Amino acid sequence: MYRGREGQWAFILHRLSGIAIALFLLLHVLDISLVMYGPKVFNAFLAFYHQWPFRIGLIMVIAGVVYHSLNGLRIIIMDFTEWGIHVQREMWYGVLVITAGLGFAILAKIVPEIIGG
Amino acid sequence: MAVKPKTLTQAKALYSTNSELAWWVFMRVSGLILIFLVAGHIWMGNIQINVADVDYAYVASRLSKGWVKVYDTFLLFFAMLHGVNGLRYSIEDYFKQANRRFWAKIILFTIAGILFVMGTMTLWAFDFSEMGDAVRSLDGGSH
Repeated sequence: MYRGREGQWAFILHRLSGIAIALFLLLHVLDISLVMYGPKVFNAFLAFYHQWPFRIGLIMVIAGVVYHSLNGLRIIIMDFTEWGIHVQREMWYGVLVITAGLGFAILAKIVPEIIGG
Repeated sequence: MAVKPKTLTQAKALYSTNSELAWWVFMRVSGLILIFLVAGHIWMGNIQINVADVDYAYVASRLSKGWVKVYDTFLLFFAMLHGVNGLRYSIEDYFKQANRRFWAKIILFTIAGILFVMGTMTLWAFDFSEMGDAVRSLDGGSH
């Protein structure tokens, strides 16, 4: 399964997306917690957050979530079924195709907002 | 205790608990739950609305709804445990020196603990329905 083939790439992407999502999660809990400091502080912070580099970053986090979710399902199927191991490579390509498809749909929704706003 | 187990029998004798197995199961169960919770969260915050429209009034109105507080509490709980345990796996894998591994985990758990408390306070310690009304009336007055 490993030795630089699909399984190892699946693992590397799972690890990278997982670390990115977890770091985003910590940041996201912090930024929403700023709502406790009232509208002035919170709105000033959000204006900073709504700049385009952060919005591009958010698209990448969402894409990471889609990959991590689908590949997580693949891992669960591999761990708990016999047939899952035999089709893990096919499932990974399926994960990539669905991630790309949902990724483009999300781009089509959010990129015009960034350009327009 | 400083001696590393070399066989399965030694390992079993050394580690009386099986917490790593429990975490292994937890990652799969919480992962499955999180797929639905996070999909709903992204749908509500990024697809149904333009995320750039999020401001204090929007967050305050969300935090005035009981179901949002319960939903977000489950999301916070499972996401923090799943995410921090995943970061812990990464620390175990990539920090080769035992003392660096130890301190990296201490720092991670400290930050995560503080953020978990802050998140829980945000969800439950304030009445944002009142604060939201106050802000809306402020907005009405200034325009």
